[in-house]
Amino acid sequence: MSSSNSRAARKARREWTSRSIGSGWQHQSFYLMIRFGGRRAAYLLLYPVVFYYVLLPSVRQKCRYYLERRFPGGGAWARFKNSYRMTLELGKVLVDRALVGILGPQQVKVSLHGQQDLLALLAEKKGLILVNAHVGCWQVAMSALGFMETPVNLLMQREEGDIDRHYFEHAGIECPYRIIDPRGFLGGALEMIEVLKRGEVLSVMGDRMLGKDRNGVDVSFLGGQVRMPFSAYKLASATGAPIVALFSYKTGPDSYELKLYRTIRVPHDLGRGHDVFVPYVREFSATLETFCSEHPFQFFNFFDMWQNSVAESDPEPDSLT
Amino acid sequence: MSVKEKLKRVLIEDLNLEDVEPDEITDDMALFGEGLGLDSLDAVELVVIVQKHFGVEIKDMEEGRPALQTISTLAKFIEDRLA
Repeated sequence: MSSSNSRAARKARREWTSRSIGSGWQHQSFYLMIRFGGRRAAYLLLYPVVFYYVLLPSVRQKCRYYLERRFPGGGAWARFKNSYRMTLELGKVLVDRALVGILGPQQVKVSLHGQQDLLALLAEKKGLILVNAHVGCWQVAMSALGFMETPVNLLMQREEGDIDRHYFEHAGIECPYRIIDPRGFLGGALEMIEVLKRGEVLSVMGDRMLGKDRNGVDVSFLGGQVRMPFSAYKLASATGAPIVALFSYKTGPDSYELKLYRTIRVPHDLGRGHDVFVPYVREFSATLETFCSEHPFQFFNFFDMWQNSVAESDPEPDSLT
Repeated sequence: MSVKEKLKRVLIEDLNLEDVEPDEITDDMALFGEGLGLDSLDAVELVVIVQKHFGVEIKDMEEGRPALQTISTLAKFIEDRLA
């Protein structure tokens, strides 16, 4: 990786933030629409708002990184249309998430594909690692995992200043999951081992680097190389826990599906090297490609994932993701 | 061989610490960050190493946090569990 590429990657990271688009009052407007008019009213407001945002070149650029790889060769109109669809799908997901919190879980029906497989994996008593991605609406879809009767732990880092609220915050209830903060002691490594040893479920995002880039490996994704974290696979190797790639997607105005796409088995004691985990991260990236082919507008990474491989000396916080 | 000596040896071997000799690792050397230079991913490996070579399990944060500071604290943790 050349130094100019590394510089570009660092620049891309600085420009990108997971903080939500829109100001506080704009979010409040949507919450108000949901309270007084339900989903339909919020969606009605959403269409022009999304149209306005997609007119902004900066928003279209954020969509373009992914769309150019998923739909190569499209013209300007096709790119605009696809940017609109992608942003609209994200908007709907955010509305649905707020809807569940404000009006209750009955607002969204979630069906699960792979329930028996999940139960069989849990019965192995080695814990279970759910590797998710920024697709569909994982927060809502996770509500379909109650049948497991096992505590679910989420590795989650909240961006400072993020005004977007999770559904349990809307509902004013305690978070149904135990949150492990990757900025904690040793990136939350000990806590993650602990929950897996107890046979619990650990949910992590597998598509986005949050900490040091050396905690990731390069794998192919949609025709280019992206860096994805391998911590989940290392944890699986250390604890014997099976991994499942579990993705959610919206199937109708009030319905989602949560599907077990693939079970990934990582051999025990693979050791310290990075490269030994590449085949398993590759399994995940291939599964994510399958998802993108099936649900092209429900992939929500709005930054240049392909600008990877930051130099080793990059002074970022130590984290397992 | 003392627990500390064995610990230094297995850390070098299992973590592939290149160009490091056991006697270069001081007892009060920090395991993570400055010192031995391990990172969060190595913590996962370290838990496995302690169990594999000493038969001692680091079960949770409560016991892991004070133990995973220096060679001395980790060796003492192992010795206490073996006692």
